Amino acid sequence: MFFFYLLSGLFLGWSLGANDTGNIFGPAIETRMLRFKSAALIASIFITLGAVFEGSGPSGTLGKLGSVDALGGAFTVALAAALTIFLIVRTRIPVSTSQTIVGSIIAWNVFSGRLTDYRSILTIASSWVVAFVLSGVIAALLFFMVRPLVNRSKLHLLKQDLVVRYGLVVVGAFGAYSLGANNIANVVGVFVPVSPFKDIFIGSHFVLTGVQQLYLLGALSIVVGIYTYSHKVMRTVGKDLFQLSPITALIALLAEAIVLFLFASKGLYNLLLSLGLPTIPLVPVSSTQVIVGAVVGIGLAKGGKNIRYNILGKISLAWVTAPVLAFLISFATLFVMQNVFELKVQEETSYIFDWHTIIKIVDDGFDSAALSTVNGRVFSSEQDIYNELSEEGLLSRDEIMKIIKIAELYRLKVEMKKLTVSGMNRRFDSQELQVLSKYEGKSYRHKWQLKKQLIQHDEFKRYAVARTEREKNHNRMLDGKLEVLYRSFRTVEGKK
Amino acid sequence: MALLLKTTRFVESQIDNFLDMVSDSATTFQLAIQDYLAGRIDQFEERLTSIRELEHRADDLRVSIERFLYERTLIPENRGDVLAILENTDEVIDNIKDSLVQFSIEMPEIPPELNDLWIQTTKASVAAVEQLVFAVRSFFRDLSAVNNYIHKVYFFEREADQIGEKLRRQIFALDIELSRKSQLRFFAIHIEMISDAAQDVCDRLAIYTIKRQL
Repeated sequence: MFFFYLLSGLFLGWSLGANDTGNIFGPAIETRMLRFKSAALIASIFITLGAVFEGSGPSGTLGKLGSVDALGGAFTVALAAALTIFLIVRTRIPVSTSQTIVGSIIAWNVFSGRLTDYRSILTIASSWVVAFVLSGVIAALLFFMVRPLVNRSKLHLLKQDLVVRYGLVVVGAFGAYSLGANNIANVVGVFVPVSPFKDIFIGSHFVLTGVQQLYLLGALSIVVGIYTYSHKVMRTVGKDLFQLSPITALIALLAEAIVLFLFASKGLYNLLLSLGLPTIPLVPVSSTQVIVGAVVGIGLAKGGKNIRYNILGKISLAWVTAPVLAFLISFATLFVMQNVFELKVQEETSYIFDWHTIIKIVDDGFDSAALSTVNGRVFSSEQDIYNELSEEGLLSRDEIMKIIKIAELYRLKVEMKKLTVSGMNRRFDSQELQVLSKYEGKSYRHKWQLKKQLIQHDEFKRYAVARTEREKNHNRMLDGKLEVLYRSFRTVEGKK
Repeated sequence: MALLLKTTRFVESQIDNFLDMVSDSATTFQLAIQDYLAGRIDQFEERLTSIRELEHRADDLRVSIERFLYERTLIPENRGDVLAILENTDEVIDNIKDSLVQFSIEMPEIPPELNDLWIQTTKASVAAVEQLVFAVRSFFRDLSAVNNYIHKVYFFEREADQIGEKLRRQIFALDIELSRKSQLRFFAIHIEMISDAAQDVCDRLAIYTIKRQL
């Protein structure tokens, strides 16, 4: 059954392959420096490698936006995003997979009565703008660096051509790797919590985790997309927007690859952190926006005369219409799936304000007076709680969201076997596993109850107030681990 | 990729050989005219034979370069321009050969008082072709230098025109038959046409250089 539901994710993967590969190799193919077959082969190999080995970074941010908790919901959300891309790609306008999946997830939030975390939307949306501007700036800087180099090198035209060809292959491979790492979360990220794949041991050292297998499957669907449909979109980026020469195509591609890598690499993130430098959020950005940013950057560096602003306008319009259209299609599809096909698109979650939760809420520093309207009640929708609490006007949206998280009924039972079966035990070291095994068989009604127990131990130490980036990152990583435990230990009764 | 590198080096050397032939043809042309004016007809005919050979080899080379550029999809963005440059430069050699062939066929009798102007016109035209070869070589290796050479081609082309005009005026001022004047004018114009052909290549080269600039 899982594989049937996964089909929509694979359809989305196909759309990504059809649409986003053009952003990597479009200019190289349109300038006839690479043949489609070679480009498709390089893209296939490196997108797969990037997805499998570095794909997990940006999926966390997407998970924060909306955690689609039912397989049917994940199926529908992915399907809606894929349909949106399919519709827009047919007009030969490149579209952002990240934007469509975000529009789709927000529709699920609204449909299922969950509150959308505005901060996550802000992080994601601002990263899109930053990625666009950053790639433009990087491309312009690279252009200004490369131009004197080319002029001074006095390389024969034919040799220059050869160097650019090699460059396009190497940078294209890097770009494809970064694209796979950055965008695989869009394709199958929503299926991670419900993935049935178990770890595969290859030899004594190499392990292909369940999540990696899921990413591999997603990557294969991207490969199918590359071979069957990507050729048609390449032209828009490669030729219609701005006439690129092979050298400027290489510069644009390098800028794109750098930006995608910056927003995807956990290794770089940790390195920046250890050096005490500001970090870049790991967010799935739009490769479409990034390459268009790079092309515009080069166009402006050359004086801005030859940019076809009408095409740029058409592409930009798709940036607004894509998430909106994805939202509408997702909402309509969720409605149809739930009411016509009786598909379960969301887990029915309860929110209980009993003395346990009220004490926790007060302990966390919230005013109990603000809770008078919800005290002792049980809710089935986050939106209803928000409506009740916001009427008083004593709590901000952020505070209400925190209170909702505390009140959420989420039954858990610590069963180490579940971790082992799913392969998730590899995410924890032996000391952490030892601590967890102490709680074997214990049940909890809320996530925070398990968290409270675990953070008492040094192995799960959490900074109460994270001051430095390092401490914040520590807390983020711990929250990621706890999220794995919540998903793994959730009991069947808890879903009702 | 190793094959591509090998092909690239090969085509590079072919282009260089082709340009060497253009340069050699121009120098040989000047020597041939000097021989003709000095009455060394046998030597003149030998030079004509070597120019015929150069022209033939240059044609073969050009076709071979064209084939390689298209078959191996080398410099896809610029190959149309490169081929146009090579074809037009090839026409310069054709002009040089045609001019000498006409001399060989008609054997015009040139009054000795015209020798100086005749050689000056020839030198100006040959200088234009030599500067053209520098310009084309720079187009492949050093774009910033191309305009300098193009400027020099234009200079020598004007020079050839001016001296050529003087030459024609002097021809028609001579006390010889009109038919002979007409014949000599034809040969003078033919020499000027060599620098005109060099200028035509430069007109295109200037545009292709702008296209190639980053």
